[in-house]
Amino acid sequence: MTDIRIADDQWDGDNEGNLLTWIYDDGAEVSAGDIVVEIMVEKLQVEIEAPVSGTLRHARAEGDLVNRGDVIGKVDLA
Amino acid sequence: MVNPTDIQMDERPKAKGRKVLMNRAIREALDYELANDPSVFLMGEDLGAFGGVYQTAAGLIEKYGEERVRDTPISEAGFMAAAAGAAMAGMKPVVELMFVDFMGVCLDPIYNFIAKHATHTGGKQAMPVTIMAGMGGGYSDASQHSQTLFATFAHLPGLKIVAPSTAYDARGLLHAAIRDPNPVMFLMQKELLGLGLWGTMPEASSIMPDEPFELPIGKAFVRRKGSDITLVGMAATAHMAARAADQLAEEGIEAEVIDLATISPLDRETILTSVEKTGRLLVADEDYRNCGVAGEVIASVAETIGHRLKAPPRRVAFPDTPIPFARPLEQALRPSTDKIVETTRQLFKEFA
Repeated sequence: MTDIRIADDQWDGDNEGNLLTWIYDDGAEVSAGDIVVEIMVEKLQVEIEAPVSGTLRHARAEGDLVNRGDVIGKVDLA
Repeated sequence: MVNPTDIQMDERPKAKGRKVLMNRAIREALDYELANDPSVFLMGEDLGAFGGVYQTAAGLIEKYGEERVRDTPISEAGFMAAAAGAAMAGMKPVVELMFVDFMGVCLDPIYNFIAKHATHTGGKQAMPVTIMAGMGGGYSDASQHSQTLFATFAHLPGLKIVAPSTAYDARGLLHAAIRDPNPVMFLMQKELLGLGLWGTMPEASSIMPDEPFELPIGKAFVRRKGSDITLVGMAATAHMAARAADQLAEEGIEAEVIDLATISPLDRETILTSVEKTGRLLVADEDYRNCGVAGEVIASVAETIGHRLKAPPRRVAFPDTPIPFARPLEQALRPSTDKIVETTRQLFKEFA
């Protein structure tokens, strides 16, 4: 299992982000490098990739406010 | 090519599919056209370094450079006229003008040059300009940032106007718009782009194929089959109509839902085929009521099969007043699912 974590330097400033969308459903198979989630910070869109290949698990929901450093999901290794 | 009539409103994620927000769908279409056609270039305010106020061009300046993803000054008349000139010189400009509300600043290049040039040259010179703009309200952005202005542009001959309601339609229609030799206005409902701060309708996200595809401009999509009444909408009001149809079905009223997708040219055939079957018509239109697209749809039905209608047609549109900033006032005036449901109920009560 590998966490999907918002990096400490994912965006500048201390603003919260709005989790816009999970591109793949909970339980979907994803490959390392697939963009899996989009977050809106101020007026910029931030993309986060799957760190490894495996089964995607969501920990946070669409519409949630998220911060740098948060674990928002994980990938279970196949 | 996907058969558009097979595309239903309910495209919520199936397992493992790639669910895409409308603004990403637009970005993917722009990316593909830039990569595959050297005559395509983008131009607009904050489009380059910032990626666009709707992030429709995020990352594209890094990929294609400043020549092809051009940041403009706040001089709409200048860059819209430049697009006309570039098109005359053989380019395919895609111009983003953040809010349709500000189109008045550059209306002369749009309607005297871009819309009429093919006619002025006897059809000898095309005008392949795509004009993108955000439109629509519902999120308290006041009277100069909340309009749809569908009818304002649909009234001008020579322009095609599209207003997609889903990411899938946006992708297919934007490819078609850029490749079209005629000018096309590509209106992006802010509420459907998927960006939290403008409001979000989750139905607008779509499962997206990786490969590019085109959808036909000028074709309306039947989102739901029904026999009792035809509900027509466009962009956000298409989703409101679909939600209304769900509620009405619980009361035994089976509504057919048509999403115009293209405002001009209007797909009268699909509308007439549906109303011929249902005998009743309601049009939901976020634009002002007076002289609007809703009125045009109703007139098209009235002058052909009006004598066979089972009830008078109805409009749910924005009242003829500037859009209020105050949230309760705006919500009270704006078309909604509840208003479509209530107007339909009343129609069935009055003309049972």
